[in-house]
Amino acid sequence: MKLRPMAALGLVALCAALTAPSVPVAAAGDTIVFGSAVSLTGSLTKEGHLTQEGYDFWKSYVNAHGGLKVGGKSYKVDIKYYDDESKAATAASLAERLIDQDHVNFILGPYGSGTAFTVAQMVERKKIPMVEGNGAAEKIFSQGFKYTFAVLSPAPRYLEGILDVAHSQKPAAQSVAITAASDPFSQEVAAGAAAWATAHGMKVVYNNKYPENATDVSSIVSAVKAANPDVILNAGHLQDALLVHKGLKEQNVQARAYGYSVGPDTPDFTGSLGKDANFVFGGAQWSDAVKYRADRPGFYATAKEYAKAFDAVYHHRPDYHDAESTATCLAFQYALQDAGSLDPDKVRDALAKLDVTTFYGILKFDSRGMNVYKPMVTNQIQNGKLVTVWPRGLAEAKVEYPTPPWGQR
Amino acid sequence: MHLLAQDLVNGILAGGILAVVALGFSLVWGIMNIINLAHGAFVMLGAYVTWQLFSSFHVDPFLSLPVSFAVLFTLGYLIQRFLINWVARAPVLTTFLLTFGLSLLVVNVALLIWTGDTKGVTTAYSGTNFTVAGVTVPWAKLYTLLAALLITGVMQLWLTRSKTGRAIRATAMDIGAAQLSGVRVAHIYAIVFGLGAGLAGVAGTLISLSYSLNPSMGQPFLIKAFVVCVLGGLGSVEGALVGGLTYGIVEAFASQIDVTIGTQHISGTGLQDAVALVVLLIVLIVRPRGIMGRATA
Repeated sequence: MKLRPMAALGLVALCAALTAPSVPVAAAGDTIVFGSAVSLTGSLTKEGHLTQEGYDFWKSYVNAHGGLKVGGKSYKVDIKYYDDESKAATAASLAERLIDQDHVNFILGPYGSGTAFTVAQMVERKKIPMVEGNGAAEKIFSQGFKYTFAVLSPAPRYLEGILDVAHSQKPAAQSVAITAASDPFSQEVAAGAAAWATAHGMKVVYNNKYPENATDVSSIVSAVKAANPDVILNAGHLQDALLVHKGLKEQNVQARAYGYSVGPDTPDFTGSLGKDANFVFGGAQWSDAVKYRADRPGFYATAKEYAKAFDAVYHHRPDYHDAESTATCLAFQYALQDAGSLDPDKVRDALAKLDVTTFYGILKFDSRGMNVYKPMVTNQIQNGKLVTVWPRGLAEAKVEYPTPPWGQR
Repeated sequence: MHLLAQDLVNGILAGGILAVVALGFSLVWGIMNIINLAHGAFVMLGAYVTWQLFSSFHVDPFLSLPVSFAVLFTLGYLIQRFLINWVARAPVLTTFLLTFGLSLLVVNVALLIWTGDTKGVTTAYSGTNFTVAGVTVPWAKLYTLLAALLITGVMQLWLTRSKTGRAIRATAMDIGAAQLSGVRVAHIYAIVFGLGAGLAGVAGTLISLSYSLNPSMGQPFLIKAFVVCVLGGLGSVEGALVGGLTYGIVEAFASQIDVTIGTQHISGTGLQDAVALVVLLIVLIVRPRGIMGRATA
């Protein structure tokens, strides 16, 4: 009888072994190994997979084109992944393991501000540079960290473009309601939007947060309805964006414009909502409508070329999570070339001095390590397709505004 | 006033779903003393069964209720018979580990089958609603509540009236006496676990109408089921219902808290979970066996 609990434990160990994601990496002398803890399970699974796609796409490109030349020597690149289960504390301990046990050369960021923040603390202690493309909260960069750099625009910018659109259309939007998840990224997004609205004479009629992993937001939706805003904004992630948008329809909440910080860019948004996704705006770090041309060789020069090659591999248009993740790798690529060495401190210094334009936009960091030089774009779902509508110079289509009633979208 | 009435309705509608999620969890816990950490994963499977039938064969989610029940019941029965039965008498930590491992396995298999992409079940009546006295009620959620009440009622009748139901309750009260009276305990345990899983599947189907699907969607519901169970009283059908409704209503009203103390703005919407847990604490102090819990001999 005594064997039975042991058998069960063995089974659990077997389950764990079967499910643990493990990617063997050959850490040879002619390979540069990057390490990353990304969310492959948990609430940020989708976003984590997009991050991984962006990284892997770069890796395949570099290895197919003779590797990375650093200090006169060609290196293959490899990436070792662990699953952080969408938990910030797990991400930090995995980063420690990547550095101490797997001896990776550099760290590629996880998905999300919460996880990026804990990993940033870890790389700071270990003095290993990290570039990340998926944690936009300014909180990460107000700690005086020297080893963390972000290629993406800061969180407070995410929803400004949508307000700018709604405020400059006719009839101009005069009021806004903001709902936000309680994580630091979403809170900064919401605060940025509220500040923009107030500075431009719009009234913030509702501004409130809900717990992360909320399974029901109907009471918040009721309160938004009572506030009767012209624009409804949500700062959160895909799962809450869907929950809020469904909730707005269920309670028949009509506004002139609806905008989300994360969600509309992923095909899942349109896939799950169908026609109700139409007219929705999304703030985006990048879209394949941007018109930058790379000023250094070594990767696709334009967004269109990148998008086409990416689509051929992954069978979907790259969304901005894919692009910013690839850009994360590009920052390392150019900094490594500039440093001419794999020495972590030399690479860190090269990152701090980096100033390069890529298919994704400019990669340049301020003294905190944030990329404040790259503007954001605003997308809208029109007839089931995601198009860039703002700023005007990049618009692929005219803004559709105001949003017609539910049932006529 | 409108807002309060609306919140009451929101709370009842949300609570009905929570009641069904908690029902299966509560039965397994109360009768077998197993805290099934794979319950959330079973909820997720139920939702995917519905999604698969809906997207491949255009089956209405409510019509897929029996299917997700049957699929999950079978799975649960087999898991209990051939896996958990080995450790049924082992310390609670062992079943904890086993069901946790099971949950990881199920979630990761689901990731392989359906990928991490978020999916939704959007029917023709999704989002349609009617308004009574200024209170908006979404049809889908109303149907869901009615289904939840019906399922709870049927469960209660079955447990009190049917032969198997009585055997289940007898096993819960005194396993030795039940065995002496000819109850096949292994079979009864497997039925209870299957029932728990089947009810999780039903809950998943109901959730798929308003919540989006991905393989890890079950986790937050597992935590809520835990609270609802303790709140209402372990192992009782009416306990799950009362606990679920209480939880839903408390959460809905918590969102109305809006206090400013000095420069500190406290908003109830961010504290919904916390308020619900405080209520749980109060109930546990006043009635340690839960609202509907009975003292057992």
